[in-house]
Amino acid sequence: MTATYALLAAILAGCALYMILSRNLVRMMLGLSLLATAVNLMLFLTGRIGRMQPPIIPDSRTTLPQAATDPVPQALILTAIVIGFALTVTLTVLIVRTYRAHGTLASDAIRAADTLGDPLRPESKR
Amino acid sequence: MNASFLVDGAAVWPVLVPLAAAAITLLLRYHETVQRSVMEAAVLLMLASSVLLLGRVISFDTVSVAFGGWGAPFGITFVADRLGALGSVAVGTAALAVAVFARADIRSRRRRAGFDPMFLAMLAAVNGAFLTGDLFNLYVWFELMLIAAVGLITLDRRAAQLDGAVRYATLSILGASFILLGIGLLYAETGTLDLVRMASEVAGRPPTVARTAAAFLLLAGFALKTGLFPLFFWLPSSYHTAPTSVSAALAGLLTKVAFYASLRVFVSVFGLVDGIAVPGLATALALVAAATMLVGVLAANAQTDIRRVFAYQVTGQVGYLAAGLSIASLAGIAAAIYYMVHTLLLQTGLFLGEGAIARATGSHDLRRAGGLMRLRPRFAALYAVLLLSLAGVPPFSGFWSKFMVIDAAFRGGSTIIALIALAASFLTLYGMSNLWTQVFWKTPPERKRAVRPIPPAMLAALTILAACTIGMGLFVEPVTRFARHAAAQVTPGTERVPSMPPPAAEAP
Amino acid sequence: MMARMLLLSFVGSCVAWPLSRLLGRRAAGWGLAVLPAAIFAAFINMAPAVEAGITIVEHVPWAASLGVDLVLRLDGFSFLFVLLITGIGALVVINAGAYLSDETDAARGRFFTLILLFMTAMLGAVLSDNLVVLFLFWEATSVLSFLLIGFDAESPHARRAALISLRVTMGGGLALLMAVILIGATLDTYSMSEAVTRSAELVRSPWIILIVAGVMLGAFTKSAQFPFHFWLPNAMQAPTPASAYLHSATMVKLGIYLLARFEPLIGALAFGRDVLVTVAAITMLVAAVQALRSENFKSVLANSTVASLGILVLLVGLDGPIATVALVGFILAHALYKATLFFCAGSVLHATGLSKLRSMGGLARFLPVTAAAALLASLSMAGIPPFLGFISKEFLFLAQVESSWQSVPLAVAVLVNAVLVAVAGAVTLRPFFLDRDKVKAVRHGETAGLVLGPAVLALLGLTISLEPDWISRSVLQPAVTAVYGSAVEVDLSVMHGFTPLLALSAAVVGIGALIFVFWKRIHRRLAAYAPLDRYDVEHAYDNMLRRFDALATATVRLVQHGDLRGYVWTVCAAAIVFVAWGLIAAGVAPRGTADWAPRLTELGGVAIALVGVGGAVAATKARTLLSALLAVGLVGFISALIFLTNGAPDLALTQFAVESLVVVLLTVALLVLPLGVRYTRSVRERRLDALLAVAFGALILVMLLDMSQAPRLPGASEFFGARALLEAHGRNVVNVILVDFRAFDTLGETTVITVSAIVAWALLGPRTAVEGALPIERAPTAIILVSTSRIFFWLLLGSSLVILWRGHNDIGGGFVGGLVAALAFSFHSLAHGVAGARALLRVHPQGLLGAGLLLATLSGLPGLFARGEFLTQLWWEPSVAGMRVALGTSVLFDLGVYMVVLGTVLAFLFGLRRQAAR
Repeated sequence: MTATYALLAAILAGCALYMILSRNLVRMMLGLSLLATAVNLMLFLTGRIGRMQPPIIPDSRTTLPQAATDPVPQALILTAIVIGFALTVTLTVLIVRTYRAHGTLASDAIRAADTLGDPLRPESKR
Repeated sequence: MNASFLVDGAAVWPVLVPLAAAAITLLLRYHETVQRSVMEAAVLLMLASSVLLLGRVISFDTVSVAFGGWGAPFGITFVADRLGALGSVAVGTAALAVAVFARADIRSRRRRAGFDPMFLAMLAAVNGAFLTGDLFNLYVWFELMLIAAVGLITLDRRAAQLDGAVRYATLSILGASFILLGIGLLYAETGTLDLVRMASEVAGRPPTVARTAAAFLLLAGFALKTGLFPLFFWLPSSYHTAPTSVSAALAGLLTKVAFYASLRVFVSVFGLVDGIAVPGLATALALVAAATMLVGVLAANAQTDIRRVFAYQVTGQVGYLAAGLSIASLAGIAAAIYYMVHTLLLQTGLFLGEGAIARATGSHDLRRAGGLMRLRPRFAALYAVLLLSLAGVPPFSGFWSKFMVIDAAFRGGSTIIALIALAASFLTLYGMSNLWTQVFWKTPPERKRAVRPIPPAMLAALTILAACTIGMGLFVEPVTRFARHAAAQVTPGTERVPSMPPPAAEAP
Repeated sequence: MMARMLLLSFVGSCVAWPLSRLLGRRAAGWGLAVLPAAIFAAFINMAPAVEAGITIVEHVPWAASLGVDLVLRLDGFSFLFVLLITGIGALVVINAGAYLSDETDAARGRFFTLILLFMTAMLGAVLSDNLVVLFLFWEATSVLSFLLIGFDAESPHARRAALISLRVTMGGGLALLMAVILIGATLDTYSMSEAVTRSAELVRSPWIILIVAGVMLGAFTKSAQFPFHFWLPNAMQAPTPASAYLHSATMVKLGIYLLARFEPLIGALAFGRDVLVTVAAITMLVAAVQALRSENFKSVLANSTVASLGILVLLVGLDGPIATVALVGFILAHALYKATLFFCAGSVLHATGLSKLRSMGGLARFLPVTAAAALLASLSMAGIPPFLGFISKEFLFLAQVESSWQSVPLAVAVLVNAVLVAVAGAVTLRPFFLDRDKVKAVRHGETAGLVLGPAVLALLGLTISLEPDWISRSVLQPAVTAVYGSAVEVDLSVMHGFTPLLALSAAVVGIGALIFVFWKRIHRRLAAYAPLDRYDVEHAYDNMLRRFDALATATVRLVQHGDLRGYVWTVCAAAIVFVAWGLIAAGVAPRGTADWAPRLTELGGVAIALVGVGGAVAATKARTLLSALLAVGLVGFISALIFLTNGAPDLALTQFAVESLVVVLLTVALLVLPLGVRYTRSVRERRLDALLAVAFGALILVMLLDMSQAPRLPGASEFFGARALLEAHGRNVVNVILVDFRAFDTLGETTVITVSAIVAWALLGPRTAVEGALPIERAPTAIILVSTSRIFFWLLLGSSLVILWRGHNDIGGGFVGGLVAALAFSFHSLAHGVAGARALLRVHPQGLLGAGLLLATLSGLPGLFARGEFLTQLWWEPSVAGMRVALGTSVLFDLGVYMVVLGTVLAFLFGLRRQAAR
């Protein structure tokens, strides 16, 4: 099963990269969020795969049974998911603002930062 | 209950103080003056606690804190050794200068946009990264820096700032993903996230695909965040858009803490110095460093916007850091540590000074500035110190940094790196002399408004940092000794401190 | 004592500015001259010791562990320089006081500070034995020379000249630094004297070429040797006293000083002396021609200085004791007469404002003393007995005859000396004595300050040679001994009898006289001869700068093209190359092979995976942003499903919640944005991107497969599993990790989302402090929604609290709780609009954020106070109505997280809705 999931993760990452390389800011952002999903999946693979029992100590016991899945990667992924959420949404907000400022989503048409004090154009104003 | 925890837990305060202060300033968002004083008090307190920590470290070698009482290797621990404590003190000093400068630079609109909480959160993150002993925790702090930086860059909602922030965020998120992936692979390999335990698990094992991939993914991620060629594009396309205080803080702190992280991981976990665990790492670093030094400085020389000049200079300077690391010798690492502290403080000062120039002349453009030596002599004197230090003129800290790196490079057998470092510092000198004549000497071009006065707050901030570079230069002995101790401390299996035998008795 | 002198000199120059203002225009020069004079006197007192051949060494510790201490070493050679520096320094300060009488107080103060600082640096340079310290002072002289040349900063010529000199000299300085570092690396000491005595070891070092080249480059740039000579004539933009001091008497001799010190090392090298002599010869010729071509008083002098420096380098290059005697003698003679001539040039400039030689004449009427001084000095320069210049020239020829050299350099020397004779005539006779009617009147007459310097120095040039006993005994003799290494008999008697040398001198004077007579014609010819300009070094320098700027611009075009896609592409390519490089360098192959064929029971999982793949591919192919968003969301849900089916319900729950929230928020965002997607990449670019993506995916596959084969080390999981319930009072290990074992991560991550919320609010919210009135939204149409919304709201809110509470033992926790609560509010806002939802929320989202973050942070403090470790969760278990309830600070922590998450989501939601409503 691991191989399957590894293949899935690889494909996701590839597609994500392909989207990130797009010049449409939203597609790029979606690509980044897809990449985050892929990375989470990879993190998940660092724990044992193929066990079904969640890492919750049953009432009958005082310690986690061997059959349970590895809780640590899950905790890490949980953190990563939330951070990824924050980043994705922040980037979205940025893009919305950028669109309002430039009236386009094409990253090659948005040159405000680049033209600010660009030495290659003599009349660069601040 | 006793109060000893205040001192025993010295390692947490540099993070907790700004964190709590960030929350408080958030609650106080309608009372700007209160907000500001809370921020300033927090920065002072943070610096004080870092100094306290440094003192503790000097006497006890390391100060560690196990969060929640769960010690290493499973809980998260802060392990403040000499390197971490030194870094955190430098961060505090730079932050103090920025806070002082902000009095004249950050007006109520920027405060309302959340300067104080975001600045404090960023400081907490930087200190956290310097002090943590847990790799995933390090990652969390990096993400916090990233998001805070994005917020700080867009403080004015200017079009250029938004564009710059988008570029910054996109590339940095990519870098963060590389880092996270590397961390995951390392966890799978070693079953722990604790740096010390990780080191012992990695040490002596033959390289595997996963571990090698992890090392080089981390290299890619850290190189991106350090601003090394060819992953530095986010830096010159965002820093020049931000408000002065912000770009100063970013330029000073973020790239350096990223370099610190790579130093920590590559030296203490992957054993860069004996170079067995990850073959090819030092070579890759050397190539990257050489390219970074040259490209950064060359590009800086073509700029006309002063902010961009220094943005590219940031890149050029971190090239020297990577060069020191790539030598893979104790001397090289010690040089890199000294250089890191020096450039952390200096870059902050250079950007702050740029803000002062812009305030005086009303433009960020070299060609529109001029005559400041005659019109603002005090500022000129202060800024001359910083420029000379950047150009590597003795006796300022900039000279010693370059001296140590080049010396270590020659002794470590990487002659090419040494020669490139020399060439790059000549180009830096070339650029800085040009900047000086343009900004301070030439007759200012006709403009509508007269040259404005420079607020005392700005001069005070510059004075702090100029004093730092002078002090680090004059008292180079204690600082380098400390740096060498720190280097020996991070390098596994070395207690001896390398030092040049004192010069033999003078010939009669 | 020497260290104290240096300190005194430094402090003195620091207070020079205020002091000069205090003393006022007239007295400043005289007053400040006390400082160098005092130091001069202090050193004169040490003459007996120097004469006795004692080397005085002072050792002030500085950076011992770097091998860099302030080691000061006074021997005869240093002594000679110290006397020149301080003695001439005093005269220069006096002269400057008079020369700058028209300048503003500020400018004069600046000049005094700089010139005295320069004196300090010079003293340090010639006194320090530690090479790094020497380099420090060396660079200081370069910087100060830069500031002095650019003293008149408003003039573009001055700025250009300053830049040229700085770049040339400091470029050489870096070469010198390289040599110094390599010497230290070879010998483990930076002591110059030791380096010289151990030059045998240095010669064996693999770096010897670099070392000698570095030393030579440093010296040649500083002492204006070909091809670096061109900065010196430019440097004449400096105020004349500075030119007299820096650019004739002292600083330009620093290179000679260094070469003389390292002569044993250079001599030990096969080609060392050849290089010196060749460079010197070329320099002398070039300088002679330039001297004949130049128009200005000062530039004629400057070029003749370059020629003299060439002679000095030549003398270093020659072997034999006489060469050393000649070297020392000529250093002294040249310093005296050249400084005098510069002073005179300054007086002329000050008096008439004229700089061109041909426009001057008959100035002796107005400036008698100056004229006399100039006459004496140029007689010395021309080498007419009984002046000092004559003696030094005799020694020059003697040295050449005696040295093991063939006649070429001798011929050059004769020619160049002849030119110098002519120059002496040209700068004295014509402006002061001949064509008397050229200048009718002058602006300023002579003042004591102006004439003192030249008078004193000119007379010295005569008296020393008439009464050479003291100077040769206690200055020249020790200097020669120090340089040559063993005692040499120095006899400065004027007449050696009628030797062939005398004939040689006579010939030189004769030729010189001829050149002087035909000066005008030669000058015009040469000045008009274009090729000399075309092949001029300065020309080449300018071209080099242009090329360099072009290179820099090209670099910018390369790295600053501004196309984000290009940046991303490069970054990802770099990462891939890094990893590939590493794998190749390590030469490792993936461990084992994973089981590819899934078992029957796993087909479900495979199906899920396939759907995921489909989603991803669809996302890349999607033609509208909305469909792309949905496809990406689908992949998110798939990963949640994978978590669920592999025993990670917490993850699944969170992933579901987050994914749905992302979809909701992004949909709101898309209301603002255009949905259609046109191709933004050319076919070729898309191919490249696909290639990169495939490589990326392949690399990841490889490393994941290898990772899956890694042996499982018993680690954190077992540790946590064993302690979660017993010590941390929680059955849900994941949640326990989040709020206890690794609570600090959670705190950091909580801060992350807090800041993201601040960013969102800063970017989307209203700009005014008072919340801008939100646009009134259309009254919602669905009555059902309105009536039912409250119930749903409270249900959701309640369940969110339950989730928060039970999280510690069962699936749930602060995050999910917060998300559900946010869902509640967003649902309510759907019915009653943002305004209504905010009214219901009562507090500002940011207030919620602050409170939550504070709570989460502070919840760790009790543990810190009680147990001494931050975030140690404390527990107490009261029994409520017979059942025991475990209460812990972790609950507070989780509550803080809950509030932050709620605040964040609402900040985003309200902000985006606000934008959408615009």
